[in-house]
Parts: sequence; structure tokens; C-alpha cells
Amino acid sequence: MILDPKRAWIRQWLTLVAVLLVWEAAGRAGMLNPLFAPSPSQIIGALVELFTSGSIWTHLEATFGAALGGLALGILVGVVLGVIAALIPYIAELLQPVMTLLNAIPRVVLAPLFAIWFGIGISSKVALAFILVAVLIFFTVYTGILHVDKRLVERITTLGGGRWALIRYVYLPSVASWVLSNMKVAVGFAFTGAVVGEFVAASRGLGYLLSFAQSTYNSALMLALVMLIMAVVLVIFYLSGRLEKRLMRWN
Amino acid sequence: MRLRDISISYGGGEPVLEGASLEVPAGKFVSLVGPSGSGKSSLLRAAIGLQKPLAGNVEIEFGRAEVGILFQDDALLPWKTARENVALGLTFHGVKREQALREADAALAKMGLQGFENRYPRHISGGQRKRVAIAQVLALKPKLLFMDEPFASLDAIVRARVVQDVVQLVEREGISVLLVTHDLGEAISLSDTIYLLSQGPRAHIIQKYDVPIPRPRSLISARAHPAYGPLYQKLWSDLSLEVTGKVAEAAE
Ligand SMILES: Nc1ncnc2c1ncn2[C@@H]1O[C@H](COP(=O)(O)OP(=O)(O)O)[C@@H](O)[C@H]1O
Ligand SMILES: [Mg+2]
Repeated sequence: MILDPKRAWIRQWLTLVAVLLVWEAAGRAGMLNPLFAPSPSQIIGALVELFTSGSIWTHLEATFGAALGGLALGILVGVVLGVIAALIPYIAELLQPVMTLLNAIPRVVLAPLFAIWFGIGISSKVALAFILVAVLIFFTVYTGILHVDKRLVERITTLGGGRWALIRYVYLPSVASWVLSNMKVAVGFAFTGAVVGEFVAASRGLGYLLSFAQSTYNSALMLALVMLIMAVVLVIFYLSGRLEKRLMRWN
Repeated sequence: MRLRDISISYGGGEPVLEGASLEVPAGKFVSLVGPSGSGKSSLLRAAIGLQKPLAGNVEIEFGRAEVGILFQDDALLPWKTARENVALGLTFHGVKREQALREADAALAKMGLQGFENRYPRHISGGQRKRVAIAQVLALKPKLLFMDEPFASLDAIVRARVVQDVVQLVEREGISVLLVTHDLGEAISLSDTIYLLSQGPRAHIIQKYDVPIPRPRSLISARAHPAYGPLYQKLWSDLSLEVTGKVAEAAE
């Protein structure tokens, strides 16, 4: 059978709808235990309930605040440390082992520690999102600067450009393009940090709701939250993809 | 421009070059040919000041701003359009941005790139990128041009056209040129004088050839000139002798 790749989305959607219908029918026929596998209509019901009761907004706000705060701080600090390490070998010697260690471990294991250090408020979530993003961006920028295209540097120099021209026309755009091309990963990391932080200890946020749903065996709410988090991250992926495309027209 | 008794060694080892001298008279096109690895690029880098020679001296009658440099793997800034790339060098030399952009368009037009001014380097072909790089250098109106195998990465047809464009511009503007190449045909059809570098280490200039083909030239007319064939044969046999001679010597 020959599949038209342009029609792939039709097949994907049709299959999804079919799976959901079968799932729903099985649920209604009493073949699934709602405690483990709530039917699609129950999940959607839980999702609608979250929004109609208005209770979701404070949680969304908490998670977005922590994720975006950690993202911004992580990028800022990652870029600054990356640049400093690339310029000053002594600093690189100090930072590199620490960063390599932090890079090697799954950094979310720091969540309980951060909850103790920074309390159950937003700071511990910002800190977790921050550490996830900062290490990623540090390596992006540090190795990026060390591997900046030597031909571009030589070119600008032989055309008569000085140190400032090198920074402005070679180093800054290079750094910006590496950070941008890692933006999607960074956004994913930031939300992971925020949600995991909330899951461990919080009084607000999507992660907190997840942990609440878990402790009350509310599978419908849990799956509704997973869908919501996916939707949020997809929207942000889309937005950062647009930004990347716009700023990297030259690529 | 004159190079006198240049010796170069890397890391204090046996000199790659020893006592190499050559001269580029004003308005003349000079080529440097030699076996690969003999030190042609090293000598050129010494002339430019990118490589400090062990001994010898470099005399250049022009200021830093009057010297243009073109290497094989010259890269354009990928995040700047062709026009902005060309204008950049001009702004480094104090030309106002508006004026620089106008001159950039003119330089691109001279290299046959009208309509491509707003393209980014990744969105044009390799031959067009090379032309942009050449326009970038020629826009600075250099009096002296150093080129190290600038056309080597181009395929034969594109290469012939780019070389033709460059030779016309150089003749029209009376630019002095030192070209490093391993293409003997290119050396003969472009140059007034050709220097042959011996096989290294301790490479030095072993021969100087004058090319008696009148200007203005085109690549075709140069190759059709009666002096072309004999000179090509002479260069070819001298170069072969140099390479095989050294191999035989090493085998003893
Ligand atoms: N940066 C360098 N460090 C050490 N050796 C080098 C360097 N550049 C060139 N060489 C050596 O010097 C010799 C001449 O190189 P080069 O000038 O590039 O020759 P050519 O351009 O004639 O092919 C070669 O043996 C090469 O290995
Ligand atoms: Mg070379």
C-alpha cells in the first residue's frame, strides 16, 4: 500500500479518534477499572471541571511563574558563566568539573534538597528550573565560544575589524544562535523543574495538583493534568519555534 | 612588495622555508607555485603578518587598509546578507553605513551578483559565495592583493568564470597581486611573473619565469597564445624534477 505522506495527519487523527472511541466503549461496558484507567469522557470531565471551577488558574500561574523565572535566570547565568569561562581559563578550570558533575546527574534529584533550602514557596521551584537550564546553557555557550568558527575571526580581522567588531559580529551572533537552537530543550527543562519541584513540596502549581491527585487516587484528574502540561509545553514549543525561525532567517 | 630571505620554522623545528625571496612590482600579477607542503601558504602568511618569520624581512609600501586578503576557505558571516557582508569591511575603514551599502551593491554588481544583495550566504551557491567574498575584498579598493588558492573549492566551470572576472578587475584597477596556486595553467594565464618554490623542508625559490603574454588577457586568449604551451611544459618538468629529485635523494 502506498501512503501519501501529505495525508499522514488525517490517518493520525482518525486512528486517535478510533482508539479513544474503543477506550470509551470499553469503559462504559465496565471492562476497565476507572480507578486505573478512567475513560476519555471522565478525563475531559476532570479537565473541564478544573477550568469551570476556576481553581486551575492559581496553579497555572504558579507553574508558569516558576518555569519562566527559572528559564530567564538560567539563560542569563548560563550565558554569563559560559562567556566568563571561555575568556578566563582559570575560571574554566574551576567551573568545568562542577558543571560536568551537575550535567552527569539527573538534576531533578536536587528537588528535595532545594525544598529544604528554599522552603515550599516558589523559590525552590525556580531554583530547580534554574539549575536544569543554567547547566545546559553554560555548556552551549562555553563550548560554542571555544569552537567559534576561526575562519570568521580571521576574516573579520583581515578586513580590518578590531576586538569590538569580533565581539559584535562574530561572538554575539554565534552565542545567540546556539542559545536559540537550544531554546526548546531549555523550555522543556524549565517546566520539568517547576513541576517536579511542586510535586515534591508545594501548596500550588500543576505539580502540586498532580501529587494531590495521586494521594487521592484520582486517575482522571492525573491524566487531565498530564494532558494540560503537554498542551502548555506544546504551545511554548510552538512559540519558541516561531521565535527561532524569525531570528534565524539566515539559516 | 618584497620578501627577502624569509625563513620560517614551526615550533623551533627544521625550517620549512629558508632564504626565500620574491618581489611583486607595482601593478604586476605574481604567482607562487610549488609542490604541496613546500611552504607556499606559510610564505604568504609571513607576507601578511599572520606568521612571524624566523629570519628575513617583509617590505610593503602600502598601508594596512590598502592590502586585501583572500584565502581558500574564507567564510562570510552567515547571519549577514551578501550586501551587509561586503559593507562590513568598508565600515571598518570608517565609511558611513549608507555609503558602505551603496558601494557594496556596486562591488556585488561588478562580480555579477545583482539581485542577490539581500540573500544570506547559506541561500546562495558556493560559486556565488566566493564572488561575495571577492567583492568584500575588492570593495576596499586594495592596492595589493594576497590570494592563497582562493578558487580551489570551486568546480571547473564556475572557477573559470570567477577567475575571468577577477583578472578583468585586477587589470582594470591596476592591483598588484601575489597568488599562491598549485594550478600551473591558472598561474600562467593570470601572471606576469611566476616563482617556483622548491620541495621542502628548507624550501627556497628555485626559478623565476616571466610570462610574455600581452594584456589585457582573457583566460581563453592566454591559453591560445604560442608562449603558453612551452612555458607550461617548462614549469611542469621543473616541478616534476623537483619532486622526483627529492624523492630519489631521500631514497639514497
Ligand atoms: N601551523 C603550523 N604548525 C606546524 N606546521 C605547519 C603549520 N602550518 C604549516 N605547517 C607545515 O609547514 C609545511 C608547509 O606548509 P604550507 O605552508 O601550508 O605549504 P603549502 O601551502 O605549500 O602546501 C608543511 O610541512 C606543514 O605541515
Ligand atoms: Mg597551502
